[in-house]
Amino acid sequence: MKGPIISGAIILAGVFIFLKFILPLVTAPLPASLIYLYLALALSGIMIYGTMSAPSLEAMMGPIFRFLSGKGQTGAGQMARLAVLVMFPLLVGWQTYSRLVPSDLPPAENRTIHPAPPGEFVGLSNPYPKTPENIMMGKGLYAAYCSPCHGANYDGKGPAAPGFNPPPANFSDPGTIAQLQEAYLFWRIKKGGVGLPVEGMPWKSAMPRWEVELPEEFIWKIIMGEYDGAHQSPRTWEEEEE
Amino acid sequence: MLNGLGSLRTLSIIGLFGVLGFSSAFASEPPASDEPGSVSVRMYQLEGSLPSEDPNSSQWDTVPGSEFNLAPQVHWPPRIQEVTVKSVKVKGVHNGQELVILVEYADPTEDAADAAALEFMVGDKPSHFAHGQEMLQVEGGPVNIWFWKNESGKAVDMSAKGFKTLETQPHQDVQAKGVWQNGTWKVVFSRLLKTEDGQDVQVEEGEWRNVAFAFWDGAVVDGLVKEKGGQKAISTWWYIRAEPSADNSVFGWVILGLVLAAAFELVIVRKLRKGQSV
Repeated sequence: MKGPIISGAIILAGVFIFLKFILPLVTAPLPASLIYLYLALALSGIMIYGTMSAPSLEAMMGPIFRFLSGKGQTGAGQMARLAVLVMFPLLVGWQTYSRLVPSDLPPAENRTIHPAPPGEFVGLSNPYPKTPENIMMGKGLYAAYCSPCHGANYDGKGPAAPGFNPPPANFSDPGTIAQLQEAYLFWRIKKGGVGLPVEGMPWKSAMPRWEVELPEEFIWKIIMGEYDGAHQSPRTWEEEEE
Repeated sequence: MLNGLGSLRTLSIIGLFGVLGFSSAFASEPPASDEPGSVSVRMYQLEGSLPSEDPNSSQWDTVPGSEFNLAPQVHWPPRIQEVTVKSVKVKGVHNGQELVILVEYADPTEDAADAAALEFMVGDKPSHFAHGQEMLQVEGGPVNIWFWKNESGKAVDMSAKGFKTLETQPHQDVQAKGVWQNGTWKVVFSRLLKTEDGQDVQVEEGEWRNVAFAFWDGAVVDGLVKEKGGQKAISTWWYIRAEPSADNSVFGWVILGLVLAAAFELVIVRKLRKGQSV
């Protein structure tokens, strides 16, 4: 079982197995579209290599042409050729159908949960010291203004939460405020949902624009109370530098 | 047998096989939502007249519905922490000309100030669900609100683009009728799919639009109406569409694809059998 066709197939299979199953062991899984792109590039390489000279072209395409022409074929060969000739139009028909049939699903939503903040909010630090009094005040403000949605347990399960799409953030989840700096929370609380950029889909967010109701001091102390109550720590510049 | 032009053709054939094969193998469905509840309202197509005057019509039993959780309005003052209406069931039908939407929700008492509203984005710009309020980094569009109140017994066609901009439209296009029975409100809203009014949401068959809901329990507690104005049960945006008519032209294109592919094969095989390059 030698020849450029078999070799090409083995290379393609190898590339697929590497991208689909081996690479995810060391990094994030690749999207199917990217795997497809890499396979198409690999196929192009194989085709270019196989058509570099007349003998290599004959070696690669000759068996395919002889198979398709059906000359001298018997038994299993004939059946395989017939299957290919029947399958190809069916595949084209199926592709035509799946491309043209109207989608029955609502539009997919690629909402960015933590979009980049405006420049003026980058690098701000909490001007209030983390004293027990300030944290206590922050927790009190949180209970009054934030807990109806984000929950008394900081878990995003406040009494108003089930009605909102997207749901309120769960601060006890290590994937939310623990990944963010205090300055980011300051932006999100101050400007609210309407302050999000387009990729954050601000038109869907029920997060109030608290700057119209609360002084900045309250917002910074709420941030303190949030981290303490959710048993999380803000991401800091020191960690970034490490 | 294999000249330069033949090679190009060969590459085209192999490429076609390859693209078809790979794209089939990697054709993936969008991920299913793991959120509870519905994400959309489908207005199913019915022949003839619609139950636009009758929330209890047996026609409603023939179509599936959706259900959405509601939240107390805590987004902007005046807030409310506890509301009566916790969820709403929604059904929709259309006949290519007119649409009717039925909302059904629990409210233990019938009160004059009980009210329900549907809100839609208008145009192509996204509008904030809270009356199309201003967004700081995105230019938003207006909203169209269909408001029904028990004491008036009719719908009001309204527009807003930002807080304190809510106004009754000069041209009214919406009708509504509500029936309260055994602790449940059923309210039907009806309108033409398309109107001449630029302030209205325009509904194109098969096109997804955005819809949100709001409900007020008008019960009087200690001399005051329990829920009014901004104090109400709300949802954020969900999807709605008028289901399109069956499009049989797809099957025509499929047959054309089959015929072309078979003809393509025939030409290739004939050439190969004659010993010509392809």
